[in-house]
Amino acid sequence: MKQYLINILAILLFSIAFTPVIANPTDSLEAVLPRKWDKRIHQKYEGWERLRPTHVKYQYAGGMGVSAFGIGWDYGKRRQWETDFLVGFLPSKYADKFRLTFTVKQNYIPWSMSFDEHWALEPFYCGLYVTTIAGEEFWKQEPGRYPNRYYNFSTKLRPYIFIGQRINLNLDNNLIKHISLFYEISSCELYIISKITNSSLKMKDILRFSFGAKIQLFKD
Amino acid sequence: MYLTNKLKKYSKYFQLCLSILPLGILTGCDMIEFHPYDLDIDGETGINAKNIKRIESALQGKDAFSFVFISDTQRWYDETEDAVYAINQMENVDFVIHTGDLSDFGLKLEFELQRDILNKLDVPYVCLLGNHDCLATGQDVFRIIFGDENFSFHAGNTHFVCLNTNALEFDYSEAVPDFAYIENDLSNLPAGIARTIVAMHAAPYTEQFNNNIARVFQHYIDEYPSLQFCLAGHTHSLAVEDIFEDGIFYYTAPCIKKRTLLHFIFTPDSYTYETIPY
Repeated sequence: MKQYLINILAILLFSIAFTPVIANPTDSLEAVLPRKWDKRIHQKYEGWERLRPTHVKYQYAGGMGVSAFGIGWDYGKRRQWETDFLVGFLPSKYADKFRLTFTVKQNYIPWSMSFDEHWALEPFYCGLYVTTIAGEEFWKQEPGRYPNRYYNFSTKLRPYIFIGQRINLNLDNNLIKHISLFYEISSCELYIISKITNSSLKMKDILRFSFGAKIQLFKD
Repeated sequence: MYLTNKLKKYSKYFQLCLSILPLGILTGCDMIEFHPYDLDIDGETGINAKNIKRIESALQGKDAFSFVFISDTQRWYDETEDAVYAINQMENVDFVIHTGDLSDFGLKLEFELQRDILNKLDVPYVCLLGNHDCLATGQDVFRIIFGDENFSFHAGNTHFVCLNTNALEFDYSEAVPDFAYIENDLSNLPAGIARTIVAMHAAPYTEQFNNNIARVFQHYIDEYPSLQFCLAGHTHSLAVEDIFEDGIFYYTAPCIKKRTLLHFIFTPDSYTYETIPY
């Protein structure tokens, strides 16, 4: 339980410490070069309001539990950067007992294609996340009983890389600005190491699908 | 006007894409994973129990048999596949014994992949628990896919005792090695058992073994009828040692990367072994 609290605290502290910096675009609206397809504009908050999350997210699978829910902040001239903090869970059906996961996720969304006032596609985006799982049998560093560097990896922290696509539906709504549905293909570092050292492993063995939704909150 | 028509066309196209998406979910079911250490296992489970039945029924009443001994196949899928191919080419092999470390990181995926490779063997096989197999939820996955960490079976008139000796992994929280299991196994030995072989992952005096009781362990297993030798892995190199200088040899299999199989051949009153590079 103590470990859960420490994890939650660490994520909160991390978010508070970094958000004002990352959510502080020095660029102005005028600096955004017009693009034929890309209609994204970053609508930024001022001062302490920058702490307000710009979106909420839901993700299914992808190594962060059955489901993960989180908040995030976008930044950059065209909102092309997003940082999310997600809390997921693994029910006792899929583990020896109910487990919580905590994930920090960084997304880079370079392009957007706007089709009409409602629909837009983000044809490619990528990023990385680090997910951690609560539970005594998972460790960040080897417990003291082992000789030094006995296993030399962490069972608790799992870094992933991913690529994905998103489709956006803009709503004329006071609370919800737009909804995005996305899917991602991801792999963690241990899977990638296994694939590199074994030609008999197929891409199917190491790639994983996940699905999710983002709800962009309205700036009032 | 032309442009808006074109956009509408694309809009329809993307809606179509979205409707195709669930199809992708169905076809890529094993590509959806909740956590690398979850217990949502795909494919066959209870391997050891099934294969023990096959071994016992095939060798019932026999006093001559042969088996291949491998160990430490973790994250060497290419080499493990080649080993399976090489074993399938051999003649007169009755079963295969794997003394643990199927996984490197204790990941569910590693156990599933190793099982799928070893399932290509023409003969039945049994797997022991290695120290790497205990990492995170590895032991739970091992239990589901393979079975208990202590088990025994008979190959004809020869009794095989497979023991978890990875004491360092359990930090005194469990009895490793489990003398209660050995006592119970000894008292339930069927009549007609003429020889015994003890298999483990980590041999006495490796850093995994509870070395304070190494001699006690040897004393206990010596109670078995006509103990022939012990099998172990863990050190990744081939060795034949009389550890306690009591005439009971410990055969240590090299890791699978070294591409060498150990083949033991039992006749009614003796045994021989050969190393087979492949």
